[in-house]
Amino acid sequence: MLRFIAGRLLTLPPLLLAVSAGVFLLLRLGRGDPALDYLRLSNIPPTDAAIAEAQRLLGLDRPLAEQYLSWLWQALHLDFGLSYVTRQPVLDDLLHYLPATLQLGAAALAVTLAVSLPLGVWAARHRDRMPDHLVRALAFVGVSIPNFWLGFLLVLLFAVTLNWLPPLGRGGWSHMVMPVAAVSLMSLCINARLLRASMLETAGQRHVLYARLRGLPERRVVHGHILRNALLPIVTATGMHIGELLGGTLVIENIFGWPGVGRYAVSAIHNRDYPVLQCFTLLMTVIFVLCNLAVDVLYAWLDPRIRLAREAAR
Amino acid sequence: MPARGMRPREGHGGRAGRKGVRMTRWRMGLIGAAAALLATAAAGHAVAASPKGTLTYSWTGNVGPLDPHRYAPNQMFAQAMVYEPLVRYRDGGAIEPWLATAWTVSPDGRTYDFTLREGVTFSDGTPFDAAAVKANFDAVLADRARHDWLELVAQIRSVEALDARKLRLTLKDPYYPTLLELALIRPVRFAAPSVLTPDGVTKPVGTGPWMLTGTKKGEYDVFTRNPSYWGPKPAYERIVVKVIPDPTARAVAFETGEIDLIYGGTGQISADSFTRFKARGTGQTAVSAPLATRTMAINSGRAPTNDLAVRKAINHAVDKDAIVAKLLYGLEPKADTLFAANFPYSDLGLTPYAYDPARAARLLDEAGWILPPGGKLRVRDGQPLRVELCFIGNDARERTLAEAIQANLKAVGFDAQLVGEEENAIEARQKDGRFGLIFGDTWGAPYDPHSFVGSMRVPTHADYQAQRGLPMKTEIDATISAVLVTTDETTRRALYRDILTTLHEQAVYLPLSHLTAMAVSRGVEGVGFGASAYEIPFGAMRPAP
Repeated sequence: MLRFIAGRLLTLPPLLLAVSAGVFLLLRLGRGDPALDYLRLSNIPPTDAAIAEAQRLLGLDRPLAEQYLSWLWQALHLDFGLSYVTRQPVLDDLLHYLPATLQLGAAALAVTLAVSLPLGVWAARHRDRMPDHLVRALAFVGVSIPNFWLGFLLVLLFAVTLNWLPPLGRGGWSHMVMPVAAVSLMSLCINARLLRASMLETAGQRHVLYARLRGLPERRVVHGHILRNALLPIVTATGMHIGELLGGTLVIENIFGWPGVGRYAVSAIHNRDYPVLQCFTLLMTVIFVLCNLAVDVLYAWLDPRIRLAREAAR
Repeated sequence: MPARGMRPREGHGGRAGRKGVRMTRWRMGLIGAAAALLATAAAGHAVAASPKGTLTYSWTGNVGPLDPHRYAPNQMFAQAMVYEPLVRYRDGGAIEPWLATAWTVSPDGRTYDFTLREGVTFSDGTPFDAAAVKANFDAVLADRARHDWLELVAQIRSVEALDARKLRLTLKDPYYPTLLELALIRPVRFAAPSVLTPDGVTKPVGTGPWMLTGTKKGEYDVFTRNPSYWGPKPAYERIVVKVIPDPTARAVAFETGEIDLIYGGTGQISADSFTRFKARGTGQTAVSAPLATRTMAINSGRAPTNDLAVRKAINHAVDKDAIVAKLLYGLEPKADTLFAANFPYSDLGLTPYAYDPARAARLLDEAGWILPPGGKLRVRDGQPLRVELCFIGNDARERTLAEAIQANLKAVGFDAQLVGEEENAIEARQKDGRFGLIFGDTWGAPYDPHSFVGSMRVPTHADYQAQRGLPMKTEIDATISAVLVTTDETTRRALYRDILTTLHEQAVYLPLSHLTAMAVSRGVEGVGFGASAYEIPFGAMRPAP
C-alpha cells in the first residue's frame, strides 16, 4: 500500500510542471494586459509611459521564456511572487484564505454524505413508491438548478424576505447554512440516485438471497450485505464530488461574500492577476490529486478484492 | 401485497407492516433534523443595524496598507480619509486652501510659496510642519518613475523648507495645473516623517479626520475618528468597511441591513439594483453631477468620416434621449459636449447637435451621399456609406449602445458595421486608428480637461487618431501645448475655448452621456458627493436621529 501511495505521489511533480507551463501560457494567450488592469485599479491614466512603467513594475517587460523560468525557479523555493493587485506574497494570501474554503467544502461534503446516504437507502427500499418518486423529483430538480441560481433564490427567501439567515460573510453556523446548501445540492442528488441504483443492483445478487435464506434479520441484510457493497461506487463518486464541491465554492463564495480562495481567485481573474492564478491552479491540482489518492486508498481498504488483487500483483 | 423496494420482485413478502413503521421513523428523523438545523441557524442570526456611532460601508477589497505615495492596492477613498492635501479641488475646478492656508505664485509661474496651517498634528502627535512636507515630497521625488504619469512630478525642480511654516516649490517650467495636481489624492499627500522609509510607510499616520485602526484580510477594515483632528470632527465615531467584491452581494447586504451605505459607480452597484431600491424606497438614493463623459471618437482620418458633413450627420442621427432613458436607466445625463459644463473652462455654451434624422439626411444628401430609388443604403461614386463601429465584444453595455447607434444610423441610410473584438484588439485599434467610431471615456475630475486634452497630442491615443484628418490638427496641438504652460488666466480661458470649440464644430466626437456616481443609504443623513469620484465625504454624514 505504501508503495502504491509513494508511486502516486511521484507523479505529482511532473504533473505540476505540466500544469504550471500550461496555465502560464494560457493566461498570456488570453485577452488583455495586466498592466492596464493595474493602471485602472490605480486610477492612473493609461499613457504609454505609464503602461511601460507598470509593465516593468509587474515584470511583464521581459521575454516570455525568461518570465516563466524565473517564476519556476522562485516557485521551487515556494516563492510564488507578489499579487499584482494586493502586492502581497501570493502563497501567504492563498493560505490565508484556504481554511475558509476547506471549511465550506468539508461542511458541504459532510452534508452531501449525511443526506444522500439516507435518501438513497430510503428510495431503494421503496422502489417505485412515493419515497422513490420524491427522491427522483428532488434529484431531477437538484441536478438541473445551477448552484449560483439556487444561491440567489436562497438569499432571496431566507435573507431578504424572511430575514432568518445572514446574507453574507463568515461567522457562526448560521452563515454556513445557505452556502453549504447551495454547493452540496447537486452532488447530494447525484449521490442519492447513484446509491439507489447501486443498492438495487446489489439486492439482486446471490449473496443477498443467501443471507435472506439464512434467515438474517432484514436490518442486517440491508446494512451488512447490501449497503456495504453498494457503497463502493459512492466512494468513487465522492472523489469526483470533492472536485465539484471545490469548483462550486468558486462561484458560491462570491455570492455569499465568503472570504475563501474561490472569491480571491475570481477577483484575480477579473484583474488578470497572473501570479495568483498560477499559484491557485497549482494548489487546486495538489488538492485534487491528494483527494483522488485518498479515495483510491479508501476504496482498497473497503474492498478486499481490490486490495488482495493489488497485493497479489506485486 | 407484493413486496417492492429493495427486495427482488420475485422475493418474499410479508414484512410490509414493519417496513412501514421504519419508513415513518426515517421520515420523521429527516424532517426533524432539517427543522432543527434551520431553527438553530435562525436563532443565531438577528438582523442588526450598525451599532450607534458606526457607519458600515463596503468596498471590493481591503483598503491596503495606506501609503499616501503608492497606488494599488491602496484604495483612493481610504487614502483620502487618512491623508490630506495642501489644497483641495472643489466643484467646477476651484482650488481652496487646506493644509496650506495661503500661497503666492511668482510672476514667471515657476515658484510657489506656501504658508502651512498652524496647529495641525499627525495622528501620532508629531507636528505637521514644512520639514514634514519636504520629507514627503522627497519620498515622492525619490520614486519619479512610478509617478511619471503625473506631469507635476516631472516639473518639480526643488522643494525647500524656508522656515517651520513656509515651503517653496520650484518648477522647471511654468505649469498651470500645479495646484490641481497637488489636490490629487495621490501621490502628494502627507504621512508623519517618523513612518517614512525608502520602501514606503511603516504604518498609516496622517493628519486626516480618520485613522485606520483595524484590518481583517478579506473581511473588513475599521476606521476610527481622529481625536486630535484640526478641522470639524465627523459625526460618526467609526467607519467599518466590509469586503464585498460582488455588486449583487452588496445590494443584498444593503437590503438586509448588513451595510448602511453604497456609494460609487457601476462597479459598486448595478443600475438595475439602484433603480429597484429607488422605486421601492429601500433607502435614500442620490445621483451625482457629471463626473466624466461616455463618448465615441469619430475618425476624421478615414473615409467616409473624413467628411465633416458625415460626422455631423452621425451626431444628428443618434437619439441620445432614448439611449439614456432606455439603456442607461436615466442615471446618466445626456452629453452634448466632450466635457460637462461643470468642468473647468468647459461651460462654453456650444450649440448641441440635436437629434434630427431629417437634418442628418439632408447633410448626407448635400454631401453627395444619395439614397438610390428603392434602396436603403446611401451611395456616392459607387461606394456605399459604411463605417466600422468598434467596441469590446464581451462588454454588454458597449454592445447594447453600439446596437442602438447602429439602428439610428440605419434609419438615415447609413450602414454601421459592428466590430466586437476582445479588449486588447480594441486597444490596438485605438492606437493605430483602425476604426470609424470607437468607444472611450474621458478621465474625469480632476484630470478633465487638462490631462485629457494633453493626451490628444500623443499619436497612440484614439483622440489623436480621430483628429488626425482635421486640416487644423497641427494648430490644435500647438494650442494645447500653449494652454498647459500659460500663466495668464484670460489667455488660458481663450485657448480652451478655441480648442473645445474647434473639436465640437469638427464633430470628431459623439458624446453620449455623462458618467455619474450613485449613493444609496439608510439611517444616514448628509450623504453628498465630492468633486471627484474617488473622495467620499464621510465627514459630512451623520446618523439620522
